[in-house]
This record gives sequence, C-alpha cells and structure tokens, in this order.
Amino acid sequence: MTENYQKNIFNYLQKNGIENFVGVPDSTLKNFISRGLELKKIIIATREEEAIGIATGMVLANSPSLVFMQNAGFANSISTITSLVQLYSIPLIFLIGWRGFLPNDAPEHTKIGKIQPSLLKLLGIKSKIVKEENWEKNCDWALKQTKIGKNCALIVRRISNE
Amino acid sequence: MNRSDAIKLIIKEIGNEVIISANGFISRDVFNAKDKNTNFYMIGSMGLASSIGLGIALKKPKKKIYVFDGDGNILMNLGSLTSIGTLKPKNLVHIIFDNNIHESTGGQPSNSKDIRLEQIAKIVNYKIFKSQNPNQLLKIISKSKKLTGPILILIHIEKSTSVNGRVLLSPKKIKERFMKSI
Repeated sequence: MTENYQKNIFNYLQKNGIENFVGVPDSTLKNFISRGLELKKIIIATREEEAIGIATGMVLANSPSLVFMQNAGFANSISTITSLVQLYSIPLIFLIGWRGFLPNDAPEHTKIGKIQPSLLKLLGIKSKIVKEENWEKNCDWALKQTKIGKNCALIVRRISNE
Repeated sequence: MNRSDAIKLIIKEIGNEVIISANGFISRDVFNAKDKNTNFYMIGSMGLASSIGLGIALKKPKKKIYVFDGDGNILMNLGSLTSIGTLKPKNLVHIIFDNNIHESTGGQPSNSKDIRLEQIAKIVNYKIFKSQNPNQLLKIISKSKKLTGPILILIHIEKSTSVNGRVLLSPKKIKERFMKSI
C-alpha cells in the first residue's frame, strides 16, 4: 500500500497555513502522524475530546489547527463537536481514519464504520474522502473551509487489513 | 469561603488577564463578577476548560492564562493534567474550585472528597497550592503571578447559598471578542 501521499498532505497543510496538529494516533493515519512527529509538530492528546479542546484553544489564539483521530474517537467526540466546535463556530479541520470501511475489518470497527457517513451528515459536517489521486484538491477545499470560518472533515479510508 | 466570593477576589487580584471558565456555575460567577473581552465562557463541553486553556497558553506564551475549573470538570478530563504536565506551559495557572459536588446539576457528589486532587497534579509536574481561606488565597494568587507554571491552585469551597444568573452573551459574541482581544 502506498501511503506516502499522507506525508504530502501534512507538508501541504503546514505550508498553507495550518499551524497545529493535535490528536490521538490511528494506524490508518500513521504516515501523516509520523511526518508530523519528524517535524516535531504533533501534539498527542489522551482522548479525542481533549484534542479538540486543545485545538479549539489554539484557534481562539488565532492559530489555524487540525485534529486527527480514528473514527472510533470521532464517535467519542460528538458532544464536544456539537457543544463546543459547532456552538462557537470554531473552524477546525478533522482528519479522520475510517476503520470499518472494508466489510472484513476488525469486528470492533464494523458498526461505527458503517454509520460514519450518516453520522457526519447528521452532524452537518461537510467531508471529503482523500486519496492518492485527489489529496491536493481536497486539502485546498479544507483550507478554504477554514478560511471562511467553517469546520470540515477529511476522511482517509482503511483500505487494507494489515 | 464560597465560590462567588473566591472568584471575585481572584479577579480583582489578576486584573485584565485571560480567563477560561468551566461550564455551569463557575462561568456564571465569572460573568457576574466582571465581564470582559478576555474571558472565554465555556458554556458546554464539560471537562474541557483546562484543554482550551492549554491550547491558548501554548500559542500565547507571553500572556498569563487562568483556567477556572471545577472538581467535576477536571475529574471528567483527568488526562488533561497529564498533557499539561507533559507540555509544561509556563504561563498556565489552573485553579480548581472544589466543593466535592456537581452543584449545577443539583448537588450530587463528585469523587473529589476522599482523594487528593492536588497530589495527582503534583505527580504530573504542576507546582501546587491549596487554599482554605481568603487571606491565604490572596497570597497564593499574588505569588502565582511571578512563578513559572504550570501551577495548580486547589480552593476548597462550600456549597453556594445563592446562584448567579446565566452568561448573557451569545457563544459567537464570546468567541469573536475573545479572539480580537488576545
């Protein structure tokens, strides 16, 4: 599996104004995270809600931020998203690893993987799936959302069962 | 000491510094004591005031950032103490008003009564202070201005006898004026 484009995503977002990358590790996003760690630009939180809280503080200090997480952690974060991020209109980019995309992924990911697209829709969070062939275009879209004060999600599908 | 009096006393001492206040009665007390642009009233997302404060403290290292937290709030996000203790923001003063109860929801017990919250903070690299009365509190707040953080001040407070009104600002307004002022 070629996941080098995840490193490009990190570099691109950083070059284009995202100053902070806060989150909880996810194996689907490991190349993104390892690039950030290399550059000492990653903050690892204990839970996804905490990560969103820290990133929100950074945005309040006028510093554009991204929160990365697995979709299990996205499920953890729903109340924080509605009662903090959406309540105060905090422009964050969520980068979410989509476990349970494949029907034969590990069993703990099946349910959340299945409802993830509906969950995003229900919450009213606009999202795009990023792949090797479209990452630049979709990063531009996400950066634009941030600039106009909106939050949004970039989704990375888990396409292997390694 | 009651919370509202302790909050008034601290606010008078720290002047125009940034305050991130936890949801529930703490934000109400701060709003009613002295509303200002550098107050961020966290009206939802229980537990996250210290995380928001950490994010701001890291990006604004020259400003003192005060977090007004509660026992119920911090117990909901204890991991935050470990993140703050790891990132060690020198400018963060984390104040916990501890009444051993979830007062905003009707006074149900929190788990802070038989544990020592300040010792948890100490073990994760905070400088800790504990206050029982107004004179002591004033001295600690004054001292905390010159010390390097992260600092935790645990204030034992009694259950309130009266309740302040809600924060009369929209979340959008709270955010916008805060971002302009910082």
